[in-house]
Amino acid sequence: MNVLDAIKIRRSIRSFERRSLPPEVIQSIEDAILHSPSGSNAQESHFVIVQDPDQIRRIKRFAQGLSGDPAAVVVLCTNKEEALARGGLDTAEVLRFVNLGIAAAYILLTASSLEVGSCPARSFHQKAIKEILGLPEGIEPELLISLGYSNQPPRPKSSKPVREVISYDQYGKEKP
Amino acid sequence: MTNTEKKSLEEGLQNRLLDYVSYVLTSARGLYKEPHSYGPMRMVDSLEKALFLLRDMGIKDDAIEESVAVIRENRWRVTSDPEAFAQALDDAILRLVKVTLKESSTSHE
Repeated sequence: MNVLDAIKIRRSIRSFERRSLPPEVIQSIEDAILHSPSGSNAQESHFVIVQDPDQIRRIKRFAQGLSGDPAAVVVLCTNKEEALARGGLDTAEVLRFVNLGIAAAYILLTASSLEVGSCPARSFHQKAIKEILGLPEGIEPELLISLGYSNQPPRPKSSKPVREVISYDQYGKEKP
Repeated sequence: MTNTEKKSLEEGLQNRLLDYVSYVLTSARGLYKEPHSYGPMRMVDSLEKALFLLRDMGIKDDAIEESVAVIRENRWRVTSDPEAFAQALDDAILRLVKVTLKESSTSHE
């Protein structure tokens, strides 16, 4: 499947079949993470791939945005101190979140290309998740991505009209 | 049911109850910064989880389950079409009103 097809079929999936992901899928997610770009090559992000059902259950208790029973959860973390040391102030304040967002997109699209459902979630208690994962000081969880095989048909997508989202050559100018 | 089976069932339910309590508490905390539309959604999700717990404990209420099913069908609209979600909540509430009135008329007989 090419990237654009993976983009077009992707929807947030909140209900999953009770089956685990094959190792090839996890390997692909790892590849996506490792090939994700990092501003100033700071590489301040850290990712925890959780597949242990007990650990997923612990996370779910404190992650109200995680729906269903995913087969895996990727916890996207960032390290402000490392970002500052390796990338400077802009990286520490802004770029580390941009980096994490790009990595998230890579993970979502890789999953989509393998017909694995996913849903990013920001609704969780950061300190609770940090404790559960044993994250060291300075490494903060910022986003969760659930992964698994969907057990429901995809719902329709709603989006703004194209002219409200994309301009050409100047803000508000429509396609020539 | 053997004592071992009974103990295992009780432990399972205790775990589920702890899942539920943690979810409700974390949801309440999250709402301070989350979009307003998440409030009703979290309450509906809490209700659904409570119903699943009750069902697994052997307690079932068809009227409430039907009411929640209406909301569940429209749950995803909470951010894309809030009016449709609100309408689903209205439909679900009116179903419970019918149950309430029915119970009320029965109790007066």
